[in-house]
Amino acid sequence: MTIPLPARIGLLVIATTAFYTYVGQLVPQKEVQPPQETVLRADLTTADMVTVGRQIMEGKGLCMTCHTIGKSGALRFPDLDGVASRAATREPGLNEVEYFAKSIYAPDSYIVPGFNPGMPVINKPPIGLTDPEILCVIAYLQTLGGTATVTLQTSHSYYKAPGATADAPPDEKKAEPGEKLELTLPPAQKGAPAAAPPPAKKGV
Amino acid sequence: MMNGLLTNKKLLFVLGPVTGLVMFGSVLFIATFLTNREYREPDRAPVTIVDPTPRTQGLADETAAAEAAARAKPYVEVEYRRFPVVGSRVAIWAVAQLHLLFAAFVLAVPIFAVLIEAIGYKTGDKRYDRLAYEFTKLLSVSFSLTATFGAFLTFMLIALYPRFTNYLMSVFSPTFLPYVLLFFLEAFFLYAYYYGWGKFHPLVHLGLGIGLNVVGTGIMLIANAWLTFMMSPAGVSDTGAVISVSDAITNYTWMPINVHRVIANVAFGGSVAAAYAAFKFLSAETDEERAHYDWMGYIGNFVAIISFLPLPFAGYWLAKEIYAYSQTLGLTMMGGAFSWLFIIQAVLIGNLFLGANYYLWLGMGRVEGKQPIQRVIKYLLIAIVLCFMVWATPRSIIATVSEVRAMRGSAHPVLGFLGVMSAKNTAVNILILTTFMSFLLYRRTGKVATVAWAKTGHAVQLLIFGAAAIFVIFLGIYGYFVEASVRIGLSVPQVSSVLFAMVAISVIDIFLFRKPKLTGEVRWGRIPAISQYVLIFIAVTFTWLMGLMGYVRSGLRQHWHVYGIVRDTSPDAFTPTLGFATQVVSATVLVFFVLIGFVFWLSSLHDRPDFDERTKAS
Repeated sequence: MTIPLPARIGLLVIATTAFYTYVGQLVPQKEVQPPQETVLRADLTTADMVTVGRQIMEGKGLCMTCHTIGKSGALRFPDLDGVASRAATREPGLNEVEYFAKSIYAPDSYIVPGFNPGMPVINKPPIGLTDPEILCVIAYLQTLGGTATVTLQTSHSYYKAPGATADAPPDEKKAEPGEKLELTLPPAQKGAPAAAPPPAKKGV
Repeated sequence: MMNGLLTNKKLLFVLGPVTGLVMFGSVLFIATFLTNREYREPDRAPVTIVDPTPRTQGLADETAAAEAAARAKPYVEVEYRRFPVVGSRVAIWAVAQLHLLFAAFVLAVPIFAVLIEAIGYKTGDKRYDRLAYEFTKLLSVSFSLTATFGAFLTFMLIALYPRFTNYLMSVFSPTFLPYVLLFFLEAFFLYAYYYGWGKFHPLVHLGLGIGLNVVGTGIMLIANAWLTFMMSPAGVSDTGAVISVSDAITNYTWMPINVHRVIANVAFGGSVAAAYAAFKFLSAETDEERAHYDWMGYIGNFVAIISFLPLPFAGYWLAKEIYAYSQTLGLTMMGGAFSWLFIIQAVLIGNLFLGANYYLWLGMGRVEGKQPIQRVIKYLLIAIVLCFMVWATPRSIIATVSEVRAMRGSAHPVLGFLGVMSAKNTAVNILILTTFMSFLLYRRTGKVATVAWAKTGHAVQLLIFGAAAIFVIFLGIYGYFVEASVRIGLSVPQVSSVLFAMVAISVIDIFLFRKPKLTGEVRWGRIPAISQYVLIFIAVTFTWLMGLMGYVRSGLRQHWHVYGIVRDTSPDAFTPTLGFATQVVSATVLVFFVLIGFVFWLSSLHDRPDFDERTKAS
């Protein structure tokens, strides 16, 4: 019995797509959820901030997509092992907190020798970490070769903590003692146009 | 029994209207099904008026209260609507993919149809004219399907994602009228080109074909602006307000996508046209038909593979611009949620190279006599398989906890080195060089160079090929020993050396085989049937690859409709597993092949004798 030509072609098409679907099932299956809404207490201790900072780096902050901890060899971005000890001496006049803050808020202002610029601005969408979240990240980074010292009341050149005397941007949400601070994107962003800085167009 | 039914005149007469009624009924059923699943707020009277009021008065009050409430209801813009069963995202995904597949076909076929027609005009060989017409026959129905799916997609976007669609429309409203105008022009040029075949002076007809290509490309450029804006928005403020429409159009990824799509469309269109030729070859009843469709399949496949060779380079450029726009976006693509997708892509591309080479090697059998060149095939096969293996090796592998401990990480101590870009770039460049060599060897089959410098020419060609291969491999190994900033730049000389080798060897070959001694005739149609199934396999693989890469381009935005500007807060905002994505791609590909089968069938009706003639003959 010969199989009719349309059936033979149909079988070939089905078999080919089935094979590729099968290949698709062989690779790791991971469903990536949008960043979760989290709540950060204003009375977090430094030790708590280290834990939160690590979670942010592995999750919402996407830091570990590029950076590594404890790897050597041909790396695309700097390894963070022992970074706290290097941070204090990287740039004259900047202590480790200021250096970390500068790296996060203005990442292209200092490039580690041997690497290309490429780190995004973390406090703006699409990642959009808030200032207290960034403080938590700094707390965790301090533990990589040093000791965490920052608190949620720590100020630096890019952020004035609540209660600090210097003026802060008017739209910045401040954490009052005992208040729960939402660490999610502001409600205005939900489904509607919200803050996002597209990079300047090349050659324009 | 079937014949009996088909000869029943009354039955034949009612067949059309009945089918129409059934289809109309199906549409009504689907519409009712969808409408009934829409959520409606229940009509409830306030508790205080239910008990003490007589029933009639109570019902009247309830109705009046419901009417008053309905009139007082404020207008609220709906953010999302849910598509039943599969959800809104999958529904939009499938329709968009089908629209893009048909659009790619409709844009691609005129490009090579006009080129083939021009060759026919220049050489006076009528076979080319017939071939170009055969390709063009596939366009008419495909154009209608493209437009239908385009309208379907627009309505689905308005219905399911109204707020986001409004935003996109507000940004790009100045582009809509030019788009519609170009669409009218596309219809004019396409139908004038198709129906005007042989009716005008050849140059006028070629002009129509060129016009069709220009207008089609214009349509694609506008549509590409919309979709690339979603990925790399520009020309808008921090809050999404429009600052410059021209900047929004010429955003970071617009031009790389334009170039990538033109090349990919031609490759895809060539492969689908080759599949049509394969279908016609396999159903051919005469040697003449077989010869014609064998030749058509060869040309279609040639167009597909020649366009496919530079595609990875266009891909590099696109990836570079994605990184330039946002490192986060680039790293999500290559190092994050989508990194494993490129292993699936490697399997597909490896299959395409294997299929294309196998078809060429089978094609050498068309030439009379034993061909000494065929001895080289086994070496080419080894090179292709090795490159395929390198390309498909992931950086980190799926392993148990104990295996990970034994390996001291997720990367295999030896194979892990093959998972990095240095190895991948080297493998793909060698694959391209090898496939190019297969083309070159096929071109030489049955010919011997007669020019005085033939020996030197062959030696120079071999030298260029060897030098390019060694240079590519050297840079690949060198990449392991240098810093990232240097390593990234190595892909450029790798690509450049391969392109140089292909151009230089081709130019030498053209002069080398100017007046060759023929050792055997090419017998079109004398090729094993399996070669035609290979062509269909290549077409399915190309289509699947288009679907997969379309998914990564769109999925990269993850939980953003417009990256960094308009956030997706719908229930579908998550990024699905790759397994799920491949299921959707496969379902879409199957629907596409059912529809393209319909297009093939309709096109084949053109060659069928009229009903009266068939009746008389029988």
